Amino acid sequence: MQFRITKSLFFISVSGILLSASCSKKIDDAYLNPNAAVVEPIETILPGVIVAFTAFFSSAVTGYGVQADGILLGRYIQYWGTQTAGENYGQMGGTGSSDNTGGIWAAVYYGQGQNVNKIIQWGSEQEKWDYVGVGLAIRAWGWLELTNQYGDAILKQAFNTNLQQFNYDTQPEFYDSCRAICFRALSFLSRTDGNVSQKNLAIGDAYFYNGNVDKWKKFVYGTLARSYIDISAKDVFKANNYAYADSAIKYANLAMTTNEDNAMVKVAGGLTSQVNNYFGPFRGNIGAIRQSAYVANLMSGLNSGAFTGVPDPRAWYKLRENKTGVFKGLTPWLGTSGLTTNDYPQNFWGYTNTAAGVYTPSSTSAPTVDSSRYVYQNTSPWPLMTASEMQFIVAEAALRKGDNSSALTAYKKAISLDFDLLTTTYPQHIPVANQISLATTSAYLANPAIAPATGLTLTHIMLQKYIALYGWGTHQTWIDMRKFHYVDPDPATGRQVYSDFTLPIGPNLVATNNGKPAYRCRPRYNSEYLYNVPELTRIGAIDLNYITMECWFSQAK
Amino acid sequence: MGYTAQRIVVGNNNTYNTSLKSSSTQLQEVTVAMDIKRNPRELGYSVQKVSGKEIQETQRENFVNSLQGRVAGLTVTPTSGVAGASSSIVLRGFNTMSGNNQPLFIVDGIILDNQTLNENSYGGSGIGLASDLPNRNNDYTNRIADLNPNDIENVTVLKGPEATALYGSQASSGSLVITTRKAKNTNGKVLINYDDNFRMQKITRFADVNNDYGPGVNGVPTAPPLSGQFTSFGPAWPSDTKKYDNLHNFFRTGFSQTHNLGLDFGSQNSGFRLTGQYFNNEGVVPNNLYTKYNFKLSNNTKIGKHLTITSSIAFISSDNKKPIKGISGYLLDLYAWPANNDITNYQDAKGNKLLLFNSNYNVDYDNPIWSAYHNTSGDKSNRYVATLGIDFNPFAWLSIAGRFGYDTYKTDGYLLTHPQSYLLPVATGGSLDNYYRTYKGYNHTITATGRKEVGKFTGRLLVGTMWQDFETQQFGVVGTHLIDSSSTDSSNTLVGTRNRLLRNYFGLPNLSIIREIAYFGEATIGYNNVVFLSYSHRFETASVLPKKNRNYNYPGASLSVIISDLIPGLKTIKFLDFAKLRGSLASTARLNDPYSNQSVFVNNQSSSVVPGFTYGFTNANPDLHPERQRTYEVGPELRFLDNALTIEAAYYNTLCLDQISQGYRASYATGYVLNTGNVSSLRNQGLELTLTANPIKNKNFNWNINFNFNHMWSKVLTLPLAIGIKNDYYNSDTYLSGNVRGGLVRGYSTGTITGFGYQRNNAGQILINPANGLILLENLNYVRGDRTPDFTLGTLNSFRYKNFTLNFLWDLKIGGDIYNGTDYFLTTLGKSARTANRTTPIIVEGVLNDGLQNTDHPTKNTIVVSPYFLNTYYGSTSLPDEEFIQKDVNWLRLRDVTLGYSLPSKVFKKIKGMKSLSVFVTGNDLLLITNYTGADPAVNANNPGTNGVGSYGFDYGSPPTPLSLSVGLHANF
Repeated sequence: MQFRITKSLFFISVSGILLSASCSKKIDDAYLNPNAAVVEPIETILPGVIVAFTAFFSSAVTGYGVQADGILLGRYIQYWGTQTAGENYGQMGGTGSSDNTGGIWAAVYYGQGQNVNKIIQWGSEQEKWDYVGVGLAIRAWGWLELTNQYGDAILKQAFNTNLQQFNYDTQPEFYDSCRAICFRALSFLSRTDGNVSQKNLAIGDAYFYNGNVDKWKKFVYGTLARSYIDISAKDVFKANNYAYADSAIKYANLAMTTNEDNAMVKVAGGLTSQVNNYFGPFRGNIGAIRQSAYVANLMSGLNSGAFTGVPDPRAWYKLRENKTGVFKGLTPWLGTSGLTTNDYPQNFWGYTNTAAGVYTPSSTSAPTVDSSRYVYQNTSPWPLMTASEMQFIVAEAALRKGDNSSALTAYKKAISLDFDLLTTTYPQHIPVANQISLATTSAYLANPAIAPATGLTLTHIMLQKYIALYGWGTHQTWIDMRKFHYVDPDPATGRQVYSDFTLPIGPNLVATNNGKPAYRCRPRYNSEYLYNVPELTRIGAIDLNYITMECWFSQAK
Repeated sequence: MGYTAQRIVVGNNNTYNTSLKSSSTQLQEVTVAMDIKRNPRELGYSVQKVSGKEIQETQRENFVNSLQGRVAGLTVTPTSGVAGASSSIVLRGFNTMSGNNQPLFIVDGIILDNQTLNENSYGGSGIGLASDLPNRNNDYTNRIADLNPNDIENVTVLKGPEATALYGSQASSGSLVITTRKAKNTNGKVLINYDDNFRMQKITRFADVNNDYGPGVNGVPTAPPLSGQFTSFGPAWPSDTKKYDNLHNFFRTGFSQTHNLGLDFGSQNSGFRLTGQYFNNEGVVPNNLYTKYNFKLSNNTKIGKHLTITSSIAFISSDNKKPIKGISGYLLDLYAWPANNDITNYQDAKGNKLLLFNSNYNVDYDNPIWSAYHNTSGDKSNRYVATLGIDFNPFAWLSIAGRFGYDTYKTDGYLLTHPQSYLLPVATGGSLDNYYRTYKGYNHTITATGRKEVGKFTGRLLVGTMWQDFETQQFGVVGTHLIDSSSTDSSNTLVGTRNRLLRNYFGLPNLSIIREIAYFGEATIGYNNVVFLSYSHRFETASVLPKKNRNYNYPGASLSVIISDLIPGLKTIKFLDFAKLRGSLASTARLNDPYSNQSVFVNNQSSSVVPGFTYGFTNANPDLHPERQRTYEVGPELRFLDNALTIEAAYYNTLCLDQISQGYRASYATGYVLNTGNVSSLRNQGLELTLTANPIKNKNFNWNINFNFNHMWSKVLTLPLAIGIKNDYYNSDTYLSGNVRGGLVRGYSTGTITGFGYQRNNAGQILINPANGLILLENLNYVRGDRTPDFTLGTLNSFRYKNFTLNFLWDLKIGGDIYNGTDYFLTTLGKSARTANRTTPIIVEGVLNDGLQNTDHPTKNTIVVSPYFLNTYYGSTSLPDEEFIQKDVNWLRLRDVTLGYSLPSKVFKKIKGMKSLSVFVTGNDLLLITNYTGADPAVNANNPGTNGVGSYGFDYGSPPTPLSLSVGLHANF
């Protein structure tokens, strides 16, 4: 009996040891997440990162990028306004307890964030230098976009997954970092060794540059050009005989020169939101906004100091007519602005209540069939940076340098490129009578009110750029206008650069701004105002008037 | 001897009894855990047992609901009052802020699954729905409700450290050890018992609705077609308006029937038991139906002198059809519905939703009855549980036991939103979620126990191993553009619109797997049957942790001293029969959710030529180690008056360290939105008191009374650094109405409700905007209430008079705040009773925010507001969340009352073979006395699948518990 027990115990022990060895393996097997990978091919990560330029979209998240923020910031620069009188952003108010105007913050830190880091890291490991270059290009764009919107932000400690609190860095550090990353991006994009392949890159950027590294380089040069023209109001821009102006011109000329080179974020179109343009009727995000009176007047020849008397043929593309076929708009802080129903512009999707036979311009709905124009269609490509913009950079830099003839050439080229962009990329749904032809373009350019043979001013350049970037270039236009403190006069003419532009004042300016216009956005609420408070307190960002603090890039010193 | 049968039932059905020859303490032995027989004198911690009979008498199909009030320190919160609703059960407070607080269920030594489906799928990477919902729009039965209450012999509740010390980290929220009924020795005869129950249910409590006013804004009526019909801020209805009693017309009388059949057949060495249950419940909400079949066959066989085999197989099939609750559900629609419209008229001749206020189906509101029939969900489950027990007792001093169990089920479910519902735009064309869940759980426990007596010393040594392998598989698909407006088959959606869980794209289910191996030991030494010391240690290896932190261990110890024997002088105290002091302490561990240490990619379905991926929200942490709980418990056990009175008390103190905060927010600069880390801590303390008395006991009349008192308190000690001192850590599933959520703040309890409040001056007076006389909002999610009750008291009375028995349970709760989200919703619409006096101009009590507010002479507000003309007075900026948190909600509920009568044998002797017959009437929740102004404070706006504290005490769109009355009989043949 005793023996039997001993034997049984021995048997139990041995099987116990064997069992525990097999258990240990089974435990190992169960550790890794079987549902989702910790590594994915970088080719499959890049498409989502590209969409984060405009409106990042992953599970239950959307709107991180330039588009959602643009809808709000477009009210500061009077691209458009909502129909509600006293609306916060129309009154140049900042964001309180919400994630509004936090889209770029989320796009750069989260939507692109670690995804870009992995494209760079794994791309390097796999010697896909083109992907590495693209990752760096996107990061450089992100730092510039981020700092221009928020001023100080997190740079050195960014993407540290072990930190629970983060320190802020200053804007010049972002500019320096942006440029340094641009040069690294260019060196990687120039490599042809390793596993560089147009075909392979095209898997990742099919809806952007389709694997063309030369165009990616132009995108990087464009970012560099922006980084110099953005500081054109600083004293340092004049230093060393306008060295920075030369840099801006140099990089702008190396950047996109034709509309083929334009950085365009494209969408596939289809039944789901993810594959439709954020500004299109399917997504339904811009039903409440209407073009501003400022742009409507500017493009109708009604501005007293710029292009007076010249209706802009592009208005039929970029703006929306009212019932009488005339372009009118709202004053962002006044809402409906007292326009009569027939004067009232339709929304950007051109909704009219045809069934009822009544004109209902205040509707926020979209027509059942997409008849939108320009960048307001479901499948419109979204410009991020265009050849036209680059020529405006050249024009501004050259004019500031005193090289008026180069400025004029670039200026005319810029306008012409914008006309071409409309006729080639956005010809859809334009009434036949209002379609732009080559003759229209040349007639417009030949008009001395548009392009004077002599006497080109910053007003010409900045307001034509304002028009060219209308709709999509809100962030860049806001930078431009902040450089001129919205209403600075042109020293050359003594007249306001942004002619006729008026800021909301008195009761039309939010009280918390203490009489000052908006110069920056508050960092994203649900990221910083709840979870990074000590640092916000240090930099003075807790106050609502933080948004009136001018950024480094627009200050002379 | 003196042992109160009601408190701890002697395990007289236990199969060991025959193999272990009686010793002097034999009859006192109890089984607490691990099927190990223990001398009750040695227990160094409080143990409460509830008998199966008590549970069955309540006639509650989800037996978890029958435990409330019967065990000190146990809190049950049903999610709602509909048939098939889930229930949360929490022992001694919330020990983890972001993990699972539900206890472990062990049935006959086997761990059974009690998951409640959580709708979150975390970007498709989890095991929720493909639509990745925030777990608040629907409810799913907690799976332990599959257990047939009639199979339960008893439930032992292990509340403290002893549960984890023996059952491991899975039991870090305590455990419920359930023993099922075993086959009897019937001497070769077949014994049959049958019982049934027919129950009616009725909703008698509703939110306080005002139906005096018609549609409109600021007293101005809105003209049809009305998209703002439900904003009832128009003029009062004309006096001749016909109004309908929609609330009562909506709810119906619920009906359920239960039939139980049991067969016992056994001889001396082997017995079989076959039980079956049929349960069918038409709920009080239209289109709510819950049906359950339950079969179980068990056998125990003794082979030779030393070996006993116990085996069982059970099959459970359930089918639950349930309309969608919560934010988008029928109940809020019902409350908001205009009084002048008859809800019973809800569809046109063609079967379309009846258009009332708008020409567009998807803009017009959903009639609640229409919604209940067309925005629906349902699930069907088939479950098998097989168990095998082997007991080998080669010597009187040695017993070896093995418990092997396999638990598996498949659940298929759907969630349908009708194409005409206003919940979705017309372009979406309806939506349908389908899911297919498979659970497979295997576990075994093998123990060897040796016992030895040397002189006055007794010793027992237990060594054992436990293996757990739990796997949940899930397929999920969601699509829109329904082809047929009612079909719930997944093929009913447009192909191009379908979304799946991540692995489903490859034809594989998403998985959640936990595997754990453990080795443990427990040594107990007793001296003279007076002092007992026990020490245990458990070593675990768990798959959910990274390899470097995967092996961990923890100790436990307990001490029991029978002071009435140790100090003979005590016995001379009059009336005192027995006094014991006990204490225990343990350090235990708790695990994170599987995969919370790996940052993963989720689908990104933006424009791309290849399937795209993007990092999910969560910054997972590859350095996680288990949470630690350090806990101790002390208390006495006293018996008086020939054991007619027993008092037990326990004080416990649990420090939860290195808490794994899952999904805490920080700056997006981490590259993520949510983060993970061992960064929080909290402390739970409590005092439990149980008093059992038998004031009257004679041949004809017996009265037992049992009190269960519970007072607990807790404190959040640390939170992630990213969460500021004035900010809260929260589970976003609880962020479901206004800005209210179950947020946790340092220094406060785990029951806090955070939300927006009033701005106040230094003296605490409400600040008023001098411009309009309305309040100023403090839009900060700070502590506005605390759901933790001051105390709870369960009182159970049992009377027997001759053949009559009468048992009833009172459940008293004092204190604890409730968030009335339903009232918030109705107030903003002008339908709450608090908007009834809107025509009376008022001055909001407070001081003007005019610069003098913090001086000695603040300006008292004198600005008159006319709410009737200014309905923003009822908006969320004028009545902050804090206004809707009702403080100190008390209740006294008559939970269960049963009157039984055993018929004298002469009545049934004519029926051949009938041995006994009794009839009963049972009422559940018949009486609720409360100061709560809403319908029912005991609801949960999430379900127990939500991790952390969840949203118990959040009353938002959940139907209340109905009043139930049932009759039935028990018959034995």
